[in-house]
Amino acid sequence: MRKIRFFIALIAAKIIYFIGKPFGKSTNLPGELMLKICPDSLSLFRMPQTTICVTGTNGKTGTSNLLSNIIRKSGKSVVNNSKGSNMAPGLASALAADSTMTGRIKSDIAVLEVDERSSQFIYTKFKPDYILCTNLFRDSIMRNGHSEFIFNKINDYLSPETTLILNANDGISGMLGEKVCKRIYYSVEKTERSSKNCQDTVCDLIACPKCHRKLNYEYYHYNHIGKFKCDNCGFEMEKSKYYASDVDFSEGKFCFNEEGKAAREIPFQKGNFFNVFNITGAASVCREIGIDIDTIIKGIDDLSSKTGRFKSEKFSNIEITSMLSKNQNPISCSQSLKYLNSTQDDMDVVLLITDSNDKAHGHEDISWLYDTDFEPLKDEKIKNVYIGGIRSYDLAQCLDIKGIPTDKLLLFESYKELADKLCKDASPDRKIVIYFELYATSVVKMIKTKMGERGDK
Amino acid sequence: MKDLKIEILYPEFNNLFGDRGNYEYLSKKLKSADCNIQLFETSLYEKPAFASQDIDILLIGPCTESAQILQLEELKKYKGEISARIDSEKVTLATGNAFELFGQYIERADGSKIECLQFFGHYAKQFSRLRFNDNAVGTFENMKIVGFKNLLSHSYGELEYPFLKMMNGSGMNPDTDIEGIHKNNFFSTYHTGPILPLNPEFCDYLIRLCDEEYIPHELEFEKKAYEKRLEELT
Repeated sequence: MRKIRFFIALIAAKIIYFIGKPFGKSTNLPGELMLKICPDSLSLFRMPQTTICVTGTNGKTGTSNLLSNIIRKSGKSVVNNSKGSNMAPGLASALAADSTMTGRIKSDIAVLEVDERSSQFIYTKFKPDYILCTNLFRDSIMRNGHSEFIFNKINDYLSPETTLILNANDGISGMLGEKVCKRIYYSVEKTERSSKNCQDTVCDLIACPKCHRKLNYEYYHYNHIGKFKCDNCGFEMEKSKYYASDVDFSEGKFCFNEEGKAAREIPFQKGNFFNVFNITGAASVCREIGIDIDTIIKGIDDLSSKTGRFKSEKFSNIEITSMLSKNQNPISCSQSLKYLNSTQDDMDVVLLITDSNDKAHGHEDISWLYDTDFEPLKDEKIKNVYIGGIRSYDLAQCLDIKGIPTDKLLLFESYKELADKLCKDASPDRKIVIYFELYATSVVKMIKTKMGERGDK
Repeated sequence: MKDLKIEILYPEFNNLFGDRGNYEYLSKKLKSADCNIQLFETSLYEKPAFASQDIDILLIGPCTESAQILQLEELKKYKGEISARIDSEKVTLATGNAFELFGQYIERADGSKIECLQFFGHYAKQFSRLRFNDNAVGTFENMKIVGFKNLLSHSYGELEYPFLKMMNGSGMNPDTDIEGIHKNNFFSTYHTGPILPLNPEFCDYLIRLCDEEYIPHELEFEKKAYEKRLEELT
């Protein structure tokens, strides 16, 4: 009976997939329908020989894309949910589209990005061969509470059949699967940018998770990511089978090391340190499934040039850089703001980081702003800070408390008025850097269009 | 105005939701009133500063459910000092699940109970999975206090000294409109995060409890941010 239900659900999902595809409605809807008809669908697919799930607070998408790309380079086919959601319906849609009419996945390997909070609905349905967890941080308060809450949400659903690939520099996610799973670690060694003291507002692991005394960090990469040891009980960073060393920020390259093998040089996007972690994590999984290092390097090289954290373009001779900054995620937002430190040019910064859809989503909890490092905005090269949206007074107050001079803050509840003023006052000798949350994408488009209409040469 | 001693209890645990913003704001307001602050940040297993000297303002923020158990064990050693503080004129602000520390017990999702400091009659019940979020507005004297809640528990039982009467959002549980504790200058609320920057008038009120001569300096955007929120939430 369960199987009949599954086949009906699969046929329905496939029909919706083909009808919806031309309209861009094929990434979530088929899976939603499928799970409605047969809630057990995810356990009834015949999964490929290798299934890899990628989870964690930051870097899931970048790492899964890298993984898929490398695996394809090795000559194997991949099914992934890169175009859809990372929750159960998104996974079901991707799998339904790739499966035969009997529910067998056609691709050789599945690479599935999994939202941390969805663990319960996914790992109970099938047991991935590998789960790569990039890191765990505080994230959207309303959904995620705190990192320990999310840790438990993943940890409670792990099985001994899964091998975990974990970031040893993260003392939180590094403890996943203790006494349950086989665990393989990767890490990044000290770089020229590592610091003895935490340079960020937030550190999610100050106390030792075992004995609760203050943890001693030999160095921090960023936030709580670093090398640590507890002087009281001896808890320390796990030994890594794979690690990155000799990170060269100016040249955009580092060495990938594997126990017992010669180090190999790997390129990464200049200035994007997260990329080093993503690559090292993805390369570790690939080595575990037997892909040789040359193929891995080809797969990385190929993708590094195509993707970017930000986009810079000129509109009417004004250079506009736009950067997606996840709403409610203080770590992601703080790290994006650090880009401002990397250039000496005069700039106007536009902050569209609070929820632009506040009314529909419900009054936004702005607590996360106080966990965000706005320090880079203090610099004199930043001439004006445009703040947009219904929560602009909250953000301005937070910036004032954090010591950003208020005379450079310009507040606009209306995005249209912000765009008008910005485009009117823009000058070619100042770059514009826009930080925007997902729902404010249309505002960025509006700004770029308006700026283009100025027509200066 | 006079110089103040401020203590933040267990900052390595009790800063989950931008709670540090409370100290940052307090400190900005105090500095603009020419006040020198002596800050004490006490880690778990260290003797709290309030146990051996006069601390004008004590801040206790919310923590994870597991850290809450550790802190309770530690704070039980200073029960006498805490009791004396509650009965004194010194200001304490305990937010989020720190409210639960001062009640009778915390009942966990598996039914087990953790004994609390037992200064007040309320007790907490944790849920198993989903967290409780709330946008809240409550009244205290002639002030309207706005804010957020993010909790894995509700509290029940007797509340002899309620702090807030809610106009919007739930009290210490969804079936009551009262929450928190206000006894002498001891304040506790289920509100999480930057409650002081969200409520400039209440922050000024707390400072005035420390020094009557304090003359508040209004920050440029604080009033508008507050008024806008209040308008939306009421």
